[in-house]
Amino acid sequence: MSVKEAVKTAPVPAPAAPEPPRPGRRHRAWDEVPRWQIYLPLSVYLLFTLIPFYWILLFSLRPAGSTSLVPWPMTFDHFEKVWTDRSFATYFQNSVLVGLATLVTTTLVALAGGYALARFDFKIKRAFMLALLCSQFVPGALLLVPLFEIFAELKMINSLASVVIAETVFQLPLSMILISNFIKNVPYSLEEAAWVDGCNRLTAFRVVVLPLLRPGLIAVGSFAFVGSWNHFLFALMFLNNQEKQTIPVGLNTLMGADSVDLGALAAGGIIAAVPVVIVFAFIQKWLVTGFSAGAVKG
Amino acid sequence: MKTSKRRTSTGARRTTAAVALGAVLALTVTACGDDGSGGSGDAGAEGSGKGKIVFWDNNGGVRTEIWKQIIADFEKANPDIDVEYVGIPSTDYQSKVDTAIQGGGLPDVGGVNAAMLAGFAAQNALDPVDGRLAKSSLSGKMNKDMITSLRAAGGGDGKLYSVPTSANNGVLYYRTDLFKKAGLDAPTTWDKFYAAADKLTDTRKNAFGYTIRGGTGSIAQALDAMYGQSGITSFWDAGGKKTTVNDPRNVAALKKYAGLFKRVTPAADLNNDFTKMVAQWDSGTIGMLNHNLGSYQDHVKALGTEKFRGIPQPTLPDGKRVQVSNPTDGLGLFKTSKNKEAAWKFIEFASSREQNSRFNKTAGQVPSNNDAAKDAWIAEAEPTKLAAAALTDGSTTIVQLPYYLPDWNTISKADNEPNFQKVLNGDLSAKAFLDTMAGQLNTAQADWTTRNG
Repeated sequence: MSVKEAVKTAPVPAPAAPEPPRPGRRHRAWDEVPRWQIYLPLSVYLLFTLIPFYWILLFSLRPAGSTSLVPWPMTFDHFEKVWTDRSFATYFQNSVLVGLATLVTTTLVALAGGYALARFDFKIKRAFMLALLCSQFVPGALLLVPLFEIFAELKMINSLASVVIAETVFQLPLSMILISNFIKNVPYSLEEAAWVDGCNRLTAFRVVVLPLLRPGLIAVGSFAFVGSWNHFLFALMFLNNQEKQTIPVGLNTLMGADSVDLGALAAGGIIAAVPVVIVFAFIQKWLVTGFSAGAVKG
Repeated sequence: MKTSKRRTSTGARRTTAAVALGAVLALTVTACGDDGSGGSGDAGAEGSGKGKIVFWDNNGGVRTEIWKQIIADFEKANPDIDVEYVGIPSTDYQSKVDTAIQGGGLPDVGGVNAAMLAGFAAQNALDPVDGRLAKSSLSGKMNKDMITSLRAAGGGDGKLYSVPTSANNGVLYYRTDLFKKAGLDAPTTWDKFYAAADKLTDTRKNAFGYTIRGGTGSIAQALDAMYGQSGITSFWDAGGKKTTVNDPRNVAALKKYAGLFKRVTPAADLNNDFTKMVAQWDSGTIGMLNHNLGSYQDHVKALGTEKFRGIPQPTLPDGKRVQVSNPTDGLGLFKTSKNKEAAWKFIEFASSREQNSRFNKTAGQVPSNNDAAKDAWIAEAEPTKLAAAALTDGSTTIVQLPYYLPDWNTISKADNEPNFQKVLNGDLSAKAFLDTMAGQLNTAQADWTTRNG
């Protein structure tokens, strides 16, 4: 049996049989539930969720000074203003670079570290896991000065790399823990079968384990991208050059000390939100699978 | 192990693409870093008066355009000097400078207003500018009150650490259309203010007489209303040791002012910062708003110039007006600058008549350069004209807030803003609130006196 076939025929734990209904307890089938009992709460929830988004859309599309509750007459002046006059085109490009670079570095390092945590036993493993968890409780602001000094020493202030490194470092612990759990769920026997077929450890990992980790990788990668996309503090502190700043910093510059252009702020907010919405729309299926199924498939 | 040629080829392509993407990202993000210090020469040196200087704007974004114009003119007049502009969001400026003070990477020149001056001066981050100012072409041309305000805020050594660029002032904005419809006079006195707030309120129609600031920044506005009504003209007693904030007249004034909440204001005002306050005033039917000159252009954009006016704070029945000070804005020369001569040239240029005038015209604030304050545009912007007049015609007494106390920002924000919300909600009495704040202020003042002798 080849490794590929072994992957396909890997034993999957049988789902537990549902518990039989307790005697005397009444269960209504979904078909019996009136539709309104399902749709009304969902609609109310959706309304509460969408109203703030509608409000942002309204402010971004209606002319300055308008108090209309519908964006009509519609104008794209606010978008044009933030994109060109307020340098959001540059901020957007920088955010994309930082987001993608953080995604790549976080995923790669988390894969390596997660594999070690899942497959090897070493003396300080538990302490290491504990340290990873504890690092989640350290606020980024606490490390600003030491990080600033390190990057200044390395002449990396004003470089997007400083933000990517800081973001990666802060994303890694959780990503590593998640990936190690995904890897633990891939039967070790699959890798052993690959070794028997002549693969070394790296090839076995690449050919056998990696394809099964796709939902986990997508989950971890998307969280790394979205986390760095939204993160404000490191970009503010480590980037001085206007041409290198990112979207969250740009958004804050739309709020002055004593004045605020709400139309521009709303347009900037939409520009900032669109990539995140698109990312989640595309990866939704894998994201849910990634967090629920444990990444083992037959 | 079986792998088809096609899959190998696909895998190779994927690997190549991944490597290429990684390389491009790595090359892009690692390009052009530095040690964050900017400039050239030795740290803390006069420099050659040429080369590059870095300028941090403390209200980045909003003022970026005008600063870029000023910088372009400066570079034209001084072709040997390059100015790198860094616009920093106003809300985050202090923390960025504080981080740079600790970690390095301060600019040569930065915006330094009175409210942040004490903290920066206490960390020995700024160079005194008295000597440079005395020898410069600006000598005798800067507004004396603004100089005094910045000197007082500097930390107690009597030195000037920031050259003033502009003064802000509290403004009472009111909707002339609503006042006319209700047959009301302009709210020029506190009595008229309270009467108008009541008459313009009709909660059934979602119409309110006033919007109160209950969220971030509420304390300065509450103090302005308190001292304005009580007529007390000093923040400290004659001995300079005890604050007057909990004087019975101030307690009574705050009680009356806080009583406006929900009676003539929207209930949502409890969390109002200036953004929400200004936004709801610009888009709704609220009669009056207290803010400063800074939001004038926002109101013009939203309402035009016909539907509202901005006037100085109301007066007492005898016509006297008492206001608390607004932080004077300015430009500071950072001690670590490697090119102080060029940095000073920039400060001098930005504070000259022409540049100071164009900057303040955009900002709608009162110029610090006395010649600039005489320019024609001041008469065209009514709130600025009235504010400038109020500050200079003797009708107004300014209560100087203790910006020099390093703890002032903590006391006036984190320590007491939540308590002010309790006062608005009726969960804390005005007296208890002011007594607590007075205790904190007296302690901070005693500490400061001990340190500074």
